[in-house]
Amino acid sequence: MRRTEPRLDGNSDEPSRGTRRGSPSLRLRVGFVLIAMVLSAFGARLVQLQGFDPHAYAQAAEKENLVTQVLPAQRGEILDRNGEPLADSADGLMITADPSVTAKTAPALATLLANKLNLDYTSVLTDLQGKAKGAGPHFVYVARRVPAAKAKAAVAAAEAKGFKGLYTADDPIREYPAKDVAANIVGFLGTDGPLAGLEQSLNGELAGKDGKETYEVADQGTRLPLGPSTTVKPVNGTDVHLTIDRDLQWYAQRVLQQADEKSDALNGMAIVMDVKTGEVLALADDPTFDASDPSASPKADRGARSLSEVYEPGSVEKILTLSSLIDAGKVTDRTKLSVPGELHREDTVIHDWFPHGIIPFTLAGVIAQSSNIGTVLASDRFGTGQLHSYLEKFGLGQRTNVGLTGESPGILPSMSQWTHEIQDRVDFGQSVSVNALQEISAVNAVANGGVRIDPSLILGKAVTNTGQVVGTDVATSHRVVSQKAATQMMKMMERVPDPKTGTAPQTQIPGYRVAGKTGTAQRAVNGRYDGSLTVSYAGFAPADNPRFTVYVVVNDPRKGAIGGGVTAGPVWQKIMSFALRRYGVPPTNTKPSNLPTMWGKGVNHHGRP
Amino acid sequence: MSSTAATAARSVRRLAAWADPVALRRARLTVVPRPRARAPRLPFVALVSAILLGGVIGLLMFNTSMQQAAFVENKLSVQASNLAARQQALQSDIQRLNDPQTIAAKAQAQGMVIPLDPAVLHVPDGKVDGVPTPATADNTPQLWKHQPKPTAPVAGGTSTSTKSTDKLAKQADAPKHHHKLAASAG
Repeated sequence: MRRTEPRLDGNSDEPSRGTRRGSPSLRLRVGFVLIAMVLSAFGARLVQLQGFDPHAYAQAAEKENLVTQVLPAQRGEILDRNGEPLADSADGLMITADPSVTAKTAPALATLLANKLNLDYTSVLTDLQGKAKGAGPHFVYVARRVPAAKAKAAVAAAEAKGFKGLYTADDPIREYPAKDVAANIVGFLGTDGPLAGLEQSLNGELAGKDGKETYEVADQGTRLPLGPSTTVKPVNGTDVHLTIDRDLQWYAQRVLQQADEKSDALNGMAIVMDVKTGEVLALADDPTFDASDPSASPKADRGARSLSEVYEPGSVEKILTLSSLIDAGKVTDRTKLSVPGELHREDTVIHDWFPHGIIPFTLAGVIAQSSNIGTVLASDRFGTGQLHSYLEKFGLGQRTNVGLTGESPGILPSMSQWTHEIQDRVDFGQSVSVNALQEISAVNAVANGGVRIDPSLILGKAVTNTGQVVGTDVATSHRVVSQKAATQMMKMMERVPDPKTGTAPQTQIPGYRVAGKTGTAQRAVNGRYDGSLTVSYAGFAPADNPRFTVYVVVNDPRKGAIGGGVTAGPVWQKIMSFALRRYGVPPTNTKPSNLPTMWGKGVNHHGRP
Repeated sequence: MSSTAATAARSVRRLAAWADPVALRRARLTVVPRPRARAPRLPFVALVSAILLGGVIGLLMFNTSMQQAAFVENKLSVQASNLAARQQALQSDIQRLNDPQTIAAKAQAQGMVIPLDPAVLHVPDGKVDGVPTPATADNTPQLWKHQPKPTAPVAGGTSTSTKSTDKLAKQADAPKHHHKLAASAG
């Protein structure tokens, strides 16, 4: 009983507990002091880190673990009207090396890389030894723009054999799968940027904007899953669709090339245009270049001569002159003329391409036999400046602005320069300069019933580097001559391919009605005629419901028979036949025009002198 | 007064102590000890440690699995970029094979030609529009320039094209009456 007593008395236990744990308040105090000490240590460190030199630390941390990677934007493709690629981008890699590492094993490594990448052994060897031009002690380019798969395989093979010191980095490749086909339009990309063609003029559309990604990595470069990261997504470039038909373009280029070679010509151009829409289906220049290997061709061949080069169109111009004259109501396709053998004018004597006495040509005969004198005589009926304003409406002297840079506007003498002598020469295509696309657009206006449509190279629309909006969406049209005048012109042009009446039987397409006009002009070289010629042929088919206008120009042919019909004619005929077949255009099965080419008694009204 | 009362109380207490000492003690007032409702300590400690341990292990496992996923992602992305590169290589192969020049070279190697004049066959009634003519090599252009030499030779293609060119060259010389066109403006 007694033993339980001290237990019940709470006070009797206190002293013994105190010796073991101390009083609560003392413990609390000690605890607070400890916590305060630790917190002050933290605080001091915080002030040190944030207060004294925060940037150095932040930078050091970033340098240690943060990786910034450029996310390259994909350059837009350039496609033909059917979506076939003319220029597209592919992943590529550059292979770089650290010569201080690779120098020791250079010969063996060079052998391997040269085999895998199809490179020149000696140049790879000098690269790896660090002896190449522009090589740094720790950096040298071994190969650039290598297809990603090839580069990866080569580097993996080298690493598997124990070679070290090779690195890869993004280096996008621009591919031109069709090589020289439409290269004059597409242009090409140099090492540091676009250098020619649409690649250059539409760079803003095609280029896109590179993105960037920053993230934290662990030691071996593995990305930390919860680490800080920022991503700016790349904006890919816009694809550009052309009005060009790749296969037709190919055919036009090859036929033109063959013709140029056969006649030993300086150069040539061939254009195919859709009559109703003004879309350029083919725009061939020869010689041209391989867009995937531009440096193999001289610089002069790396553009589009059909736009940049101007020349005097010669007799093809008569289409414009005489359709204007008909529209002005001064003549009809049956107007009778007496054409002498030569025509004395103020400062010159005008001749025809063949010597003759007085011929009773109708206007159709003037076109069919391409009489300069007949054209000038008829054109005397123009009022002052009338022809000038017609030619302006046909688009002469103004850039076509299809989206390519370097286009020449040509030369149409201004009204202040316009004299009677100048008009005489302009009548048959002298003293006026055009580029080939201008000329075909003007002829196309006649094919299209008198309405000129702006030519287009781009389907839809695109904005050029100079801020110009180009393409089929913004192409405008306006009437130049009446439907009646255009029809009469067409009927006169139909007499040209007719072997009984015209100068270009080579351009007939059996079963089809075709209308055309030859052109032979003297070339103005360095300001004077040097005796060389520009021969051409422009025409459309089927004549009464035209689908295509084709224009072929051959500059300075020097071998064999030379003339608009004999040199350019066969090229025109082949390209037109190919286009009609490719687009399944049936013949119209109507009767071709039978306009009289001559008049009076004792002459064959449907013949030639 | 009070001393008498106190004396009386003392005598009562003495009496009580004599009569029943236990009852007296019970009747005396004392300080009641604070009641200590102690929860058993062990389950609590166990719970806290379990939560801590679970948290640490869970976090560790989560982190490990994230890292693992990152490794897998890394490996797969390498694989993906390899496959993408391969796909691109194959695509450019297709494009190369689709190139009109390649197709033309292969077709010419097999003796195919581009027909001369277009003609349209109306399938329902079998009527032919246009003038059908037998296809000859005349419309088939040579594929490469004679100078410089072909850069991408294709078996057979070159010889075929050379033959057709010779034929064309001969034809070109034939029509003599066109020669006068050379004189001047045509």
